[in-house]
Amino acid sequence: MTAHVLPPAPAVQRPRVLVVGAAFAAAASFTVFIGLIGIYLAARVDVVGSGTAWLPEGATIPLQQPNTMFITLIMSVFTMQWAVAAIAKNDRVNSYLAMGLTLMLGIATIVMTTYLWYLMELDIASGIQGVLIYTITGAHIVMLVLAMIFVALMGLRALGGQFTARQHDGITAAAVFWYAMVAVYALIWISIYVTK
Amino acid sequence: MALTDTRPETGTDASAVAPSVVPSPLTIFGTGDHKAVGTFYVLAALVFGIAGWVAAALSLGHEVGSNSFLSGSTAMQLGQTSNLGLILLVIVPLFLGLGTYIVPLQVGASTVAFPRAAAAAMWTWLLSSGVFIVASFIDGGFGGSREKSVSLTLMALGGLIVALLLGTVCVLTTAVTLRTPGMTLDRVPMFSFSMLVGGAIWLLTLPVLLANLLLIWVDHRYNGGTTFGAGAIQFDQVLWIAYEPQIYAFLIPGLGIVADVIATLTGARLGQRNILLLAIGAFGVLSVGAWAQPAIYPSASDDLVWQAMGLLMLLPTLLFFGGVAKAFKDGKPSLKSPLGLAVVSLLLTLLAVLAGALLAITPLELRVSGFFAAGQYVLAIAAALAAAAAGIGYWGPKMTGGHSADGLGKLNVLVLLGGGALGGLSLCVLGFSNRFTGLEGAHDSLVIVSSIGCALLALGGALALLGLLSGARKGAPEAAADAWGTGQTLEWACPSPPPTGNFGDLAIVRSPEPLLDEEV
Repeated sequence: MTAHVLPPAPAVQRPRVLVVGAAFAAAASFTVFIGLIGIYLAARVDVVGSGTAWLPEGATIPLQQPNTMFITLIMSVFTMQWAVAAIAKNDRVNSYLAMGLTLMLGIATIVMTTYLWYLMELDIASGIQGVLIYTITGAHIVMLVLAMIFVALMGLRALGGQFTARQHDGITAAAVFWYAMVAVYALIWISIYVTK
Repeated sequence: MALTDTRPETGTDASAVAPSVVPSPLTIFGTGDHKAVGTFYVLAALVFGIAGWVAAALSLGHEVGSNSFLSGSTAMQLGQTSNLGLILLVIVPLFLGLGTYIVPLQVGASTVAFPRAAAAAMWTWLLSSGVFIVASFIDGGFGGSREKSVSLTLMALGGLIVALLLGTVCVLTTAVTLRTPGMTLDRVPMFSFSMLVGGAIWLLTLPVLLANLLLIWVDHRYNGGTTFGAGAIQFDQVLWIAYEPQIYAFLIPGLGIVADVIATLTGARLGQRNILLLAIGAFGVLSVGAWAQPAIYPSASDDLVWQAMGLLMLLPTLLFFGGVAKAFKDGKPSLKSPLGLAVVSLLLTLLAVLAGALLAITPLELRVSGFFAAGQYVLAIAAALAAAAAGIGYWGPKMTGGHSADGLGKLNVLVLLGGGALGGLSLCVLGFSNRFTGLEGAHDSLVIVSSIGCALLALGGALALLGLLSGARKGAPEAAADAWGTGQTLEWACPSPPPTGNFGDLAIVRSPEPLLDEEV
């Protein structure tokens, strides 16, 4: 008896609507921080140029917490990519695990940021420095929370069986936004925490 | 269907008659239909436009004589509100509304990408705009004395920028991902291409405005307004969006409308299409102005890059002008009002760009008084309004299913030309007053002329609105699928107004003018 083997199905030609939309949203979010950090750097050049220290007396920005956050977020890039790679192989268990870990690392970053705010002893009403630093880092936390909601939403949709190896744009889109959020943190890390 | 879902690309029999739906609050507020969302944008923006130009006329009127009918603070807040409002409540949403309606039709899609998000963006914009207007009126404009009202204004502005960005993402994603087979990027109709360029520039610059507002709000709310939130400098930090080169970013979709209208109403293919695409792209690149913020970078206008951008802008504008002029030569212009409005928009755009080039020439010292820049702003916004009016007249039959009264449109050609020229040029002339002392004596007269120009532009907005409504009235001549009989692009292949799903099966697109190919 001869077995009849059907040829493999042709590749699906589908528009990657959600991925492209997320990329546009990520670009817009990134631009908000480009604007904020541009204003921050211009203000810092003005203050330092006038011969005074940038940070007000008594305020300090330790580097240990920002470094820890950066490492945490870099790890989250790997876990997020793990989630994308796993769903692309229909390995749902690993995908759930990776998205869960990504969310945990996001929560850890929020906790560390609030701890850093406490350590900085920088009053928001202390002047231009307080306004700029809290606005930028606060806005980044907002972006992080949005990225976490995006990942969680896609995780729930994955649990509902919506994503497969052939169609997992939702998780890829969440990953795109997540990477943009980490890239924003890299900007903040270098311009606010390292070069102060 | 979740907000992040996209409706599947299912074909619909275009000849099928849509079942009659009794309008209910649910169908109005819950619709994800891109046609309804686009129409709401256009109608609301036109109403805001009428109010905005009236406010601009009133605040200019305050400059005349010594016995003003407005207090100094009220006039200043009114002027600033109209300045920002005409961009964020009128021009951007007008183009975004047309984009939400027309871009899916032009690229052969059954819907806009993320229809629920597009609807959410429109309602958020509308709500935020209402809050912005109300808060501005209760002494909450920039530098207003009611702190809570100022906070409300700032939050409303932030909300409406986020909404406009979300709407832009929907339109851009549609143009990038939902194009029908065969429609490569160089075959995309001019309006869709210009929305792609303009939307991308908005996406790269309006978030910077959001960043400015965020800093103003945080400082105003938590720091007592000592730095960014200080009343006297709040508006200065956001003024860059109304100033060269950023002001050009709000003209880009207008170029696409002008090209589409001229191609259809002259019945000629756009011969130099690639040059036009290049011109629109270059116009976009030269309009990125988020970096030139006078409040943050006081010497921005002395920067060589800023001056070069102002002068170089002439090149893509003239290139575009030449490209569409060729269509007039190759075709047979049909004397319909959208064509007249497109020409008015083109002329006003050229004047705005010429004014911008003069503004960039430092020895002329036109940046000293601020009048010249204000005149350029009026010219640019009037050009955008004329383009939007041309688009509304041109796609009106598609939107309403009926032909609008062309007489209203023809009257609007004169009104918008007169309004733009009087409103903008008189202020530009006043900008020379530091060089020609005789002009100082004509200050009041020139400001009155400009004020009349602004009032005419308000009338122009009203005429555009009436024109659109006249197409929807009972007894209006019914519009065919190809309402002008010379349509070239896919929106003219579906019924007027389009049914749910827009199209049946579409043939593979083989040129930028698929409807002309079909006729061959």
